Amino acid sequence: MGPTSRETWAQRLGTFRASPSAFMAGPEGEDLGRHLLSDLRSEKLSEPTKVSLLALSLEYPAQLWPDAPAAEAAATSLLDTLVLLPPRPSALRRPLLLAATTALAAGGALGPTSGASRRLLPLLLGLASGRDLGRSFGPASEQRPLQATAWECLRELESCKPGLLGGCLGLLRGLLGQEGPVQPLSLLLALALRNALVIQARARLGLQGLLVAGDCPTEGGSWNWMLAEEGDAHLQPQAPSWPAAEGGECCLATLELSPEEARELRAAVAQLLDASYLLTPVAQAQLLWLLGWALRGLRGQPPVLFKPQLVRLLGTAQLTLLHAVLALKAAFGEALFTAQDEALLLRRLTLAAQHPALPLPAHLFYLHCLLNFPENWPLGPAGEEAAPLLLGSQLCRGLLPSLLHDPMDLLARLHLLCLLCVEDEEKEKKGQDQSPRRYLEELLAGLRQRAALGGGPRALATLCFQASYLVARCLAGQPAVLTPLTHGLAQLYRARPALAPHFVDLLDRVGPELGEPLKVVLRQEVVSRPGRDEALRWHLQMLARVADGDAQSATLGFLQAAAARCTDWGLQQALLQVCRALLRAGVGGGLADLLQALARQLEDPDGRDHARLYYILLAHLEEPKLGVALGPSLAAPALASSLVAENQGFAAALMVQEAPAPIRLSVGPHRAKGPAPVLQLQVEVLEQVYSLELRFRVERQLYAPLGAVHMPCLCPGRPIRPLLLPLQPRRPAPASLAVRALYTTPSGLTCHAHLPPLLVNFADLFLPFPQPPEGAKLGFFEELWDSCLPKGTESRLWCPLGSHGLEALVSRHLEPFVVVAQPPTSYLIAIRLPPDSRLLLRLEAAQADGVPVALRTDDWAVLPLVGDYLRGLSAAG
Amino acid sequence: MAQRAVWLISHEPGTPLCGTVRFSRRYPTVEKRAKVFNGASYVPVPEDGPFLKALLFELRLLDDDKDFSESRDSCSHINKTSIYALPVGGEELWPVVAFLKNGMIYACVPLVEQTLSPRPPLISISGISQGFELLFGVQGFLYSGQKNDSELNTKLIQLPDLLLQACPFGTLLDANLQNSLDSINFASVTHPQKQPTWKAGTYKGKPQVSISITEKVKSMQYDKQDIADTWQVIGVVTCKCDLEGSMPNVTISLSLPTNGSPLQDILVHPCVTSLDSAVLTSSSIDAADDSAFSGPYKFPLTPPLESFNLCYYTSQVPVPPILGFYQVKEEEVQLKITVNLKLHESVKNSFEFCEAHIPFYNRGPVTHVEYKVSFGQLEVFREKSLLIWIIGQKFPKSMEISLSGTVTFGAKSHEKQPFDQICIGGTAYLKLHFRILDYTLTGCYADQHSVQVFASGKPKISTCKLYRFKLT
Repeated sequence: MGPTSRETWAQRLGTFRASPSAFMAGPEGEDLGRHLLSDLRSEKLSEPTKVSLLALSLEYPAQLWPDAPAAEAAATSLLDTLVLLPPRPSALRRPLLLAATTALAAGGALGPTSGASRRLLPLLLGLASGRDLGRSFGPASEQRPLQATAWECLRELESCKPGLLGGCLGLLRGLLGQEGPVQPLSLLLALALRNALVIQARARLGLQGLLVAGDCPTEGGSWNWMLAEEGDAHLQPQAPSWPAAEGGECCLATLELSPEEARELRAAVAQLLDASYLLTPVAQAQLLWLLGWALRGLRGQPPVLFKPQLVRLLGTAQLTLLHAVLALKAAFGEALFTAQDEALLLRRLTLAAQHPALPLPAHLFYLHCLLNFPENWPLGPAGEEAAPLLLGSQLCRGLLPSLLHDPMDLLARLHLLCLLCVEDEEKEKKGQDQSPRRYLEELLAGLRQRAALGGGPRALATLCFQASYLVARCLAGQPAVLTPLTHGLAQLYRARPALAPHFVDLLDRVGPELGEPLKVVLRQEVVSRPGRDEALRWHLQMLARVADGDAQSATLGFLQAAAARCTDWGLQQALLQVCRALLRAGVGGGLADLLQALARQLEDPDGRDHARLYYILLAHLEEPKLGVALGPSLAAPALASSLVAENQGFAAALMVQEAPAPIRLSVGPHRAKGPAPVLQLQVEVLEQVYSLELRFRVERQLYAPLGAVHMPCLCPGRPIRPLLLPLQPRRPAPASLAVRALYTTPSGLTCHAHLPPLLVNFADLFLPFPQPPEGAKLGFFEELWDSCLPKGTESRLWCPLGSHGLEALVSRHLEPFVVVAQPPTSYLIAIRLPPDSRLLLRLEAAQADGVPVALRTDDWAVLPLVGDYLRGLSAAG
Repeated sequence: MAQRAVWLISHEPGTPLCGTVRFSRRYPTVEKRAKVFNGASYVPVPEDGPFLKALLFELRLLDDDKDFSESRDSCSHINKTSIYALPVGGEELWPVVAFLKNGMIYACVPLVEQTLSPRPPLISISGISQGFELLFGVQGFLYSGQKNDSELNTKLIQLPDLLLQACPFGTLLDANLQNSLDSINFASVTHPQKQPTWKAGTYKGKPQVSISITEKVKSMQYDKQDIADTWQVIGVVTCKCDLEGSMPNVTISLSLPTNGSPLQDILVHPCVTSLDSAVLTSSSIDAADDSAFSGPYKFPLTPPLESFNLCYYTSQVPVPPILGFYQVKEEEVQLKITVNLKLHESVKNSFEFCEAHIPFYNRGPVTHVEYKVSFGQLEVFREKSLLIWIIGQKFPKSMEISLSGTVTFGAKSHEKQPFDQICIGGTAYLKLHFRILDYTLTGCYADQHSVQVFASGKPKISTCKLYRFKLT
């Protein structure tokens, strides 16, 4: 395929930029990267088109070459293109260098095994240090910009791979003193120095002469990747000299420098700072952040080196420079800034935060800096906005909010004012003036006045409520502020009920200090003023939020009066929402009447159904259940009928939900007593539940159906008596019981859970015969023995004995059923098997390892069970 | 300190999207670092379309604010800085630095070199101020000398190349984009070592220094007991130093006459090498008294090639230059207005122009005006509901002039009638615009002796003063 024309590329690039993901998913996406690289060498395309192709590769390498091998291949191709350029001036060299660097760094291909990296790095260093690279590198006129570009490329590579240039520190220092562009060199040196310090500190090594080593790998030699490999695991922030933000994770304290190294380091930093004036303001700021971070926590490196720069920096209006000074302040605190310096810095910040020559975004940022000022001795908790101690009310005078300010400016200043009011309260106790508070009240009144304007933009209302929220949050403990605010807001509602959604939002977000009294006055406001028709919708919306158990009759009266005017579906729904709120609040009698009336009189069938549903709920559910059933539901509003939406809410609350078992059941020791077998169940409670009902189902209907067991309340950790479950076997056989639990959670939901099945063993069904009188025992047994035949059967088997012998075995398992005993060798045993079978055992002439058992039963079917049981006895011990 | 992406978006109310992305630039190497630093809290930079939508919504620039929307209008959704969190694809992109200026939205996303949850304080993120500086730089470039849309478009076309120069990898090298443009042109000149980066080349030719002082006064006069009138002078000193040598040392001093008003709140250009502590601390925050530092204000500096703002200052002059009185009385459908203006005797009575704008808000168009002026003439802009009283070059000898009349308004017909949130009912204002050449209200001046140049050749020094005035 031949090279693409200029127009096609222009169109293709346009489509790509509009949505890269859509383009890459399309038919041309796959080959875009390849075409781009090949067309860069096409002689038919003009330089500007090629520059635009390179611009694309600078922005979207991840889309063009999505993995490391592709990025490596692309970088190689870009480097080849660069080398092949004819030696005349060309606009392509610079973007080619940038593109190769971007492809390697962004594609994750940069490393010692990458051929492109091994080519690019010496090339960049050669260009940067002004070495003659031969005629292929273009005319002399291009050397300057290429040199600066090469430095920038190296800095970017060092940023992405810290330690990459650690071996070149000495060379960089040497070059800084000679000719060459000072800015890129200073920034690269500062960055590489900082990275080297951090990496060496982590490895607990010194600088190891890095600062003085003069040589650096050139094209022939190999690049020193050692530091970069070590630094690789920890990409280092370039600027977090902010103690709070970084969590005190400054690791430089472990760095041990020899006096020689410390001197070299100091000299290098001083050299950089001295030349910093030659850098652009933004670059100066970068340098200060880097050096501040490099020296912080480093022993024996006093920050006074920065001092000569500070006055110059404080005088400017540059955002970056003041910000960098604040970073130094945060990094070094009192070591660099005395209390007087701190006061001066605050003064300059205050001044900058309101200076008419600066733009609004800068004002706002300075205000933010003031409220987060890194004080030498902060009083409040870290991370919370506060007015610095040295920022007195005199300094703040110019920072008071006024209605003429932009909303963001107003809110930022209002926050400051609130903080002053907090301090003011402390002063007030000492009897000083209270002007900030009065100022605040007037401002809020002004905001409300503007919000009350009918037809004004919503932003004005929003601002008023934001301000109220801010005040309520900052001054929650000051009734002197909150009381007028509450009444002012009530007046605002009276003037413009259409703001109801804002009021509801405010009530949802403020604490009870404002929320509770505001609720009360707003309710009064609504119910005492029937309102004109257009306000009714808002009144109902408001009431749905503020109605509760108080002032029931007034609320119900209002609703009754309103019902007649609720003619459309929306209003009826709003009305029903209020009813719902009242239902939740537990309002009873009067509400039932209202709901009944609504169920008859509302025009809309949906509304009537709804009212009826509420009435039924009110009549049938207890209060706590009602509260849960009507609780906030996440269900999306349904379009067709509000009942559907309502039902989605109920579904969670009223329907029984499947849940993991809240208890664990196990079968306890066998009780051989009474007329019928009783299963003893041990209960282990895992979570708190109420009204637990256990339901059992017998598999294969071997027993009669079992009744449910009820327990009112179960708490984990509280001891519980075992449950007794009477069994009525239809046949004497073991069975499995399926168990389900039905219960209520503390939050009021009804749940059910399947428990693991319980196994009823054959022996669990054994019951003793009534004991015959002493002396008649043998006769009683013989009588039973004889009665089994001919209907029943007789069998003999060998019962192995464990180490304990026959006596122990009988006493452990068969004691209740022994009729005649001649220990230790002979026992006659009679067992009743409900419903009406018997099992008779003769254990006689026991030997050391077992006993012969003669048995009779009147039920054929139990023979295999008996066999299994007896053989299992010795195993059970 | 780097940026992950930059955007320029024109705000176009009334169109379906309400805006268009005019320029965007992403920095993939920075993005890669963001992924590592932010870890689990990393949110990728979205494509232009979704970004535009989310940003306009957050800045309240979409046309649909009719209904309450919780995500935008909630009282707890408070923004006190120009830094936003944008909901994009179910996650929040933060921090996004953005502001609207002259119908253009400037936005960028600075790199945060740590995890974003919890969010670190803004003050600890170096990329924030760098981002602001970049956006201010772009704004300065687009609007320097720009008069119309076609010039703006030309500059927008230059922008990608300029950013390739000034911010090739997302780390800003120079916020002065004009400087970058110059350095492209100066590229062939070899720099000596001690050449500042902010100076693209060296000047060859006749040495010359020009200084111009412009003062504006912002005054608000309420004529009310409980609200104090305010008037504040804001000054800017602009210099252009055409001097040979790579780093000529210059000291420029500003002086005041004996009864001049002290300069306060002085902010200087970064090329100023040192500052007197009296200059640094003189501030409008302090109560004014006689002990205030009154100059001369010395600024030692190494000038850049281009024209630059040496310093900004404010000052508190003892009286407002023109005292105004404005009364509005509502009489059924018409307003009765009375205006008196008095020029203070100390002010130079020679204007380039002087006019009073009298706007009427929240009303219909002006249908009829009857008036009487003691001086000058009145122009009526009916559709804009605006009267302009053109006073001219001079106040009369008495220094006092007056205007009285009645204005009748038609019915409020369409949305185009000016709306104002403050000028409701009888609340109204009058705004004075004027300019006086070769005069400063503070008295601040620079002359032949104010400039010391430590370089070869004696420069020609020209100074000028300009006084602009806005009174409401």
